[in-house]
Amino acid sequence: MILLFDFAILIFVLICAVAAITVKDLLSSVIILGAYSFLLCLLWAEMGAVDVAFTEASVGAGIGTILLIVAVSKTTRRSKD
Amino acid sequence: MFDFIVGKYNYWIYIILMMIGFYAMMSKRNLIKKIIGMNIFQTAIIIFFISIAAKRGATLPILEHAHDGGEHAIEAISYINPLPHVLMLTAIVVMVATLGVALAIVLLIYKKHGTLEEDEILKKIEFQE
Amino acid sequence: MRILSLIIVILTAAVLIYGTLDMPDCANPDTPASQHVSPRYVTRAMEETATHNIVTSVLGDYRGYDTLGETTVIFSAGMACILILRKRRRQ
Repeated sequence: MILLFDFAILIFVLICAVAAITVKDLLSSVIILGAYSFLLCLLWAEMGAVDVAFTEASVGAGIGTILLIVAVSKTTRRSKD
Repeated sequence: MFDFIVGKYNYWIYIILMMIGFYAMMSKRNLIKKIIGMNIFQTAIIIFFISIAAKRGATLPILEHAHDGGEHAIEAISYINPLPHVLMLTAIVVMVATLGVALAIVLLIYKKHGTLEEDEILKKIEFQE
Repeated sequence: MRILSLIIVILTAAVLIYGTLDMPDCANPDTPASQHVSPRYVTRAMEETATHNIVTSVLGDYRGYDTLGETTVIFSAGMACILILRKRRRQ
């Protein structure tokens, strides 16, 4: 573990998490969640968990984002909060 | 004091991340926002377990000198703990399965009521009765 | 409602941060999690399963029933999605 690299990625992850739940448009919220998943993948590769990073990049960031985008495009994009 | 903060600060950041997800699950009224909060909560737990496995000065859990006839002894201190990685690999797949079922239920609710806001859905249910 | 959930979140965070004060430091090689069963997996994986990657050998060999349960969970999730989203016949 490299301390400075670890800290910088964790700050980016926190910013993405706060942005994903405060944005009013649902589609941009879903895309920010995809960026959050890829930052988590970087964090796990940095911690030494390479298999978990692969699985997160393919399953969490790929299939999860696709499922959320399909759900948003079949329902509505606007939200009140 | 400095060593204490350096040893513990990442646990505190994981707790803040988990509380962001918890707050989104409780106070947001949109159903998709609630699902996004649940996703953040689960990933915070997974980060916590992966950080337990980390060791200072160790390498990836892939054996290096495996075919030299026992010339290099394999020591457990020089490889990262592989057990939390396996358990969290299972947890990530279960997380995506949960997301799929939750989004299917959300699609069904939208087809029946025409909205995703929780208070409007509750108002329509009361109006029907 | 928003104030109430904020209070609950802050109380939970305080309890969890109080719990971390007794935890071992991050990246410490002598934690209880790294002492109990994982040294056996690391040292015996090559002669017992003949796999370079220890994560794969634990996932597929030592803890194979765990992976079987995970497959069951994915199967039931797929079945639940099909049952929820299928088109119903008009009555």
